[in-house]
Amino acid sequence: MTSATGTAPVVTGAAARVVDAAKVYGSGDTEVRALDGVGVAFPAGQFTAIMGPSGSGKSTLMHCAAGLDTLTAGAAFIGDTELGRLDDKRLTMLRRDRIGFVFQAFNLLPTLTVAENITLPTDLAGRRGDPAWIDSLIDVVGLRDRLHHRPAELSGGQQQRVAVARAFAGRPDVVFADEPTGNLDSRSGAEVLGLLADTVRELGRTVVMVTHDPVAAAYADEVVFLADGRLVDRMAAPTADRVLDRMQRFVGESPRTARSLDTTAERKSSS
Amino acid sequence: MSGTRASLRLSMAGLRTHKRRFAGTFFAVLLGVAFLGGTLVMGDTLRSSFDAMFGRATSGTDAVVRGDDMITTPGESFGTRRTVPTELADEIAGMPGVAAAEPRIEGPGQLLDKDGEPVGGGGPPTLAGNWIADEDLNSYQIAEGRAPERSGEAVVNRGAASDAGLGIGDTTTVRTPDPLKVTIVGISTFGGEDAMGQTSFTALTRADAEKYLTAEPGRATSIQVRAGPGQSQAELVDSLSPVLPDGIEAVTGQEVTEENQDQIAGQFLSGFTAGLLGFAGVAMLVATFSIYNTFAIVVAQRTRDNALLRALGATRRQVVGQTMAEALVVAVLASLVGLAGGVGIAAGLQALFPAVGFPFPDGDLVISGLSLVLPFATGVVVCLASALAPAVRAGRTSPLAALRETAVDDSGSSRVRAVVGGVLTAAGAAFTVYGASSGPSVMLTVAGAVVTLAAFVVLGPVASSYAVRILGAPLRRMNGRLARRNALRSPKRTAATATALMIGVAVVSLFTVFGASLKSTMDQTVSRAFAGDVAVRVPAFGPESGALSPKVAPAVAELPEVEHALGLGAGVARVEGDGRALTVTDPGRMGDVLDLGAVRGSLSDLGTDGVAVSGSEADDHGWKVGSTADFTFTDGEKQAFTVRAVYDRADLAGDYVLTREAWEPHRMQDSDSLVAVAFRDGVAEADGKAAVEGVAERYGNPEVQTRDEFAESSAAGVDMMLTLVYALLALAVLIALLGIANTLTLAVHERTRELGLLRAVGQTRSQLRAMVRWESVLVAAFGTAGGLTLGAFLGWAMTKATDSSGDGVFTVPPAQLAIVALVGVTAGALAAWRPSRRAAKLDVLGAIATE
Repeated sequence: MTSATGTAPVVTGAAARVVDAAKVYGSGDTEVRALDGVGVAFPAGQFTAIMGPSGSGKSTLMHCAAGLDTLTAGAAFIGDTELGRLDDKRLTMLRRDRIGFVFQAFNLLPTLTVAENITLPTDLAGRRGDPAWIDSLIDVVGLRDRLHHRPAELSGGQQQRVAVARAFAGRPDVVFADEPTGNLDSRSGAEVLGLLADTVRELGRTVVMVTHDPVAAAYADEVVFLADGRLVDRMAAPTADRVLDRMQRFVGESPRTARSLDTTAERKSSS
Repeated sequence: MSGTRASLRLSMAGLRTHKRRFAGTFFAVLLGVAFLGGTLVMGDTLRSSFDAMFGRATSGTDAVVRGDDMITTPGESFGTRRTVPTELADEIAGMPGVAAAEPRIEGPGQLLDKDGEPVGGGGPPTLAGNWIADEDLNSYQIAEGRAPERSGEAVVNRGAASDAGLGIGDTTTVRTPDPLKVTIVGISTFGGEDAMGQTSFTALTRADAEKYLTAEPGRATSIQVRAGPGQSQAELVDSLSPVLPDGIEAVTGQEVTEENQDQIAGQFLSGFTAGLLGFAGVAMLVATFSIYNTFAIVVAQRTRDNALLRALGATRRQVVGQTMAEALVVAVLASLVGLAGGVGIAAGLQALFPAVGFPFPDGDLVISGLSLVLPFATGVVVCLASALAPAVRAGRTSPLAALRETAVDDSGSSRVRAVVGGVLTAAGAAFTVYGASSGPSVMLTVAGAVVTLAAFVVLGPVASSYAVRILGAPLRRMNGRLARRNALRSPKRTAATATALMIGVAVVSLFTVFGASLKSTMDQTVSRAFAGDVAVRVPAFGPESGALSPKVAPAVAELPEVEHALGLGAGVARVEGDGRALTVTDPGRMGDVLDLGAVRGSLSDLGTDGVAVSGSEADDHGWKVGSTADFTFTDGEKQAFTVRAVYDRADLAGDYVLTREAWEPHRMQDSDSLVAVAFRDGVAEADGKAAVEGVAERYGNPEVQTRDEFAESSAAGVDMMLTLVYALLALAVLIALLGIANTLTLAVHERTRELGLLRAVGQTRSQLRAMVRWESVLVAAFGTAGGLTLGAFLGWAMTKATDSSGDGVFTVPPAQLAIVALVGVTAGALAAWRPSRRAAKLDVLGAIATE
């Protein structure tokens, strides 16, 4: 594919990236800058976590990087494709063919079986997926005996594992996961996170995960920290304690983040 | 009290927030009420217009002197009376208390236009009569020119004159049925109107009328009498009665008016209005399903809200009351708008019917209290009744439901339902088949049909699962597969949505099958009974024929191309007490041009005291060759006829055949209804037809039809009936469409997050639209398939049940039914238009955002 990036510098090996990304909601007094000049690349073959307190813009960053939302200024790329230049149909097809998604909840269509949910994107494309790959995915997520069940017959953790299999089924350039363990108990959550990490390390896939949970972020190869719509820090080889420490430092840096961090901590302690 | 107010406040808030959800219900109720109201208003309006018309026709007449006995044959609305001697008019005119008395001579009078084509016909009567000099006794008035004075002069009513493009001084032909050349000297109006309800009336001098419109001069249809000053109608009749000869009676003008009004109201209008009300009922029934479905879905979607209300302490009654109050508001608003629509529909139909050839007189719209109250009440009751079950279900919502995820409703395909539905279907079908084939009994068949319909409704949810799987099997692409799954989600909802369309399609198919069978029966009648090459006739509505000059047959017979030409005339008599139509002809030659089937006895020597009868009439009366049948003619004469022949096929020959000689003493006006012609060997059909047409032209240009044309024109009335039925049923189908669209809109709303997920993982907008459309098409296809099955079955039943002779043909017209199926499925695709567009416009982020 020829480069459509124009003057933007090409970062080799980035599966997805944003350049000078800004997202503004409203105008005048009610203006909210959810993203305020963020530039970040998510390297291929790596598991990256996006962290930050509530309202830091982490979800907005993920939505814009994944082509679910559009930037007010700046550019978002999947590989060398600039998303802002695509119309709705091309963007949809790009999501279908080159991106995988795992959402916090409601990942599966209740009318389709587990197997059908896994192959949904390739089926929508009217293609046959790679049967051997999908077969190995099913083994990795451990759902071979549930293939013909409906989502309603599965536990929350099982449902998220199906979603993970679905996200990787089309061998996308990058999988975006938005708080994938937000609705799970810690054990199911650990299973899903382990699954994501293993898929990256053993099968060479790329994952970008949004989370507010330091324990979840610790599964990643690198953590990028967002606060008030800006990229404030990066951390390689994270552990839960180091991430929590870094997060605590947001307290005092901004009244807005401090307040939200409190609630984050409360939520953590209550679960 | 305050509890009631609380639930009322909640429902008003609900209505305001979810206006769109109730749009479907609103329109379903509106259309149903409008149609019902329109029907009632139009019925009243027609009745009053006809009443006014007949009132005006006899307004100046105080008494009518006429034959006291009327012979009515089955299927004929106006009977035949004996004529009265014209000299009686002079006698009455001289009596004290009588201001004027004039004979009225009336007969068939088909006016031809400048190009020799008939004006009107095939519906409203085309009449000729004498111009009555007394202005009060004559319901027509001269608008231009003058009254006819010399032989060959005529006055034509303004409507007919303008249709024919004729004016004063023009010359044309009137078929009486003998062609009569007339010069138009005057244009008349009927009480200021152009015509008496689109009847054409050609007035001649009294001498011409006596000569051409009756069998012999000196006879009149009736005598119109005007009372002198101070004389009431009753007193006039009392004074006339003693002087009248036997068999002649005097009745008041008032009585005649009422008779006419009753005849139209009783025989034509009530049937017509009943038919329309039937279709309004179908529309209401269809609406019921749409309304029920809307409320069922709304209640399902509000489970959490209702549970919260219950948890916060709302009573069941308050929750039920909230839904019912919503239904009431929608019902009242929709019914009110529907009433206005109904008056509009009535006005529209009043304008439309004359345009398509229905003989309805003009008049102001008559809007009675009943035609406002009844549709309004029906609309409100239907809406409330349809909402009741969902409302009660809402009341049963457990407070705990607020804490649960809303489950997919897959109820409705229970074993109990399958068993009950199966038993009902079997019972309904058995009743229908029994009613249709033995007897046949229309009542039993209708009862069976109703049970069968109910069975289909009960079975709907069970059948929908199988039907959608089968119908959706060819959909291999992902959108189609998703659509199929969605249609299978809630069998009850799918079935209720499809049932509305099913009923509409069933009634359409029923009439399609019934109509096609009627046509085949008529076609068979002609093709098996007509042994000639061409028929000369005046096509009229239905299989009957108009009057034809009796001189046509002899003239055609003289053509070198023609081997046989036989005229069949018509007469009436009371046979063994019942009015019967007679065929008057040369019985010995009938076999040359008609296929009578097996004949016992001989047709060739009936003479003046013999009759040939059809096998079915002979069986009914237990006659054999040699039996005696008592005839009473319109002139009061009684005569015993000997049955000399019994023939099998009465299709064209009729049930009773008399010689012209036997009929001669009792005849009214000489006319044939059909001239059957057979060509000599070797004469090409086109040549022979051209030769016969040459003769026909000299006798007022009746139509010369080949066998196929004859069959086709016989069935023309069926097509007209079907067109009308289809137009009326379009409304039911429209309501069903609204129902499908509404259900889809609600379903799309319900599945917002699913749709968002699909869009996120790569479903394009057009794929999403296709998915919604396919679901709609599947539901519509299910309804259409059910409707076609039910309609074809009931069409068969109706054909059999109404066919007492057993000669009827049952035909399934594949092309027409294929069109019905196509329309049904296309309707499904159309219904999805708006919901699918709305679904495609969905904001992906908003849909997937977690709460």
